[in-house]
Amino acid sequence: MNSIPLKAALAIWLFLTFSAASSRSQMASNHDADTAAIKQFVANFADTWNSHDAHGVAMHYVEDGDFSSVKGEASHGRKELEDHYTMIFTTFLKNAHTTDTVRSIRFLAPDLASVDIDWLVNEPSAPGGVLRKGLLTWMLSKRNGQWMIVIYHEQSF
Amino acid sequence: MISSRLKVALAITLFLVFSSGFAWAQMASKTDADSAAIKQCVAAWEDAWNRHDAHATAAAYVEDGEFSSTTGVPSHGAKELEAHYNEIFTTFLKDAHRSDTVRSIRFLTPEIASVDIDWQMTGARTRDGKDAPNRKGLLTWVVTKQRNGQWMITIYHESAF
Repeated sequence: MNSIPLKAALAIWLFLTFSAASSRSQMASNHDADTAAIKQFVANFADTWNSHDAHGVAMHYVEDGDFSSVKGEASHGRKELEDHYTMIFTTFLKNAHTTDTVRSIRFLAPDLASVDIDWLVNEPSAPGGVLRKGLLTWMLSKRNGQWMIVIYHEQSF
Repeated sequence: MISSRLKVALAITLFLVFSSGFAWAQMASKTDADSAAIKQCVAAWEDAWNRHDAHATAAAYVEDGEFSSTTGVPSHGAKELEAHYNEIFTTFLKDAHRSDTVRSIRFLTPEIASVDIDWQMTGARTRDGKDAPNRKGLLTWVVTKQRNGQWMITIYHESAF
């Protein structure tokens, strides 16, 4: 009778030990794959932005994603986000083109990363053709294997 | 035999269900306490900054904390951070005073939060010593909870507008 709980306890202990060790060794190689996936995600975001697809851009966010503009104005959730992008793509950014270059990625957890992105927005009527130059700071979360934006901040300088 | 196996299985199931339910219930009340602790972290940092204490200002960061300025210039780690604050507090910000107001806190995990902070500054000078206009903008921090329960800055970004 005693041996069964002992065996069960041993099995649980082995499982926990093994899964912790396995997740640690996987972490290093996953980081390389995740770094590549995040860069791909940023490139895809820029492509979608450059086709001025407001719905497509909003879908790069999680359902309750947060956006904050260069002036600190906030949009929250996919509906507000899509409205925001529709507004900018039909008004002052309708001829704009963005170039986003990943500067650094910091993993805060295996499924959570802070990403700094050098940012350039070209617009034909802007002085020198440059409307914005600055830094994007994104908090990304991996959901069902896909990296998505939880929080988007941008600064222009 | 079967019944004792069942008992073990039941005990394990109950343990897992209870501990996850317990964790959920704890999370809500912890969030209030953690929000208060994060606001305290911001207030303590603001106070250190206004005393122009470079060491104390840098000490609000984790050991490998990251700072990025309004123009995207980074400082990384305790030593660089202290040197950065030392430089600004002895030059163009030596008479500056700031005020910081937490706008929102978003918990990404129980130990990691993103914090938006409205900031304003008076008394800043230009690099050549002339009075500069008042500044304002948004700080966006990633703060992490340490083993002692204290929240510290892991990543600091600031924008001016």
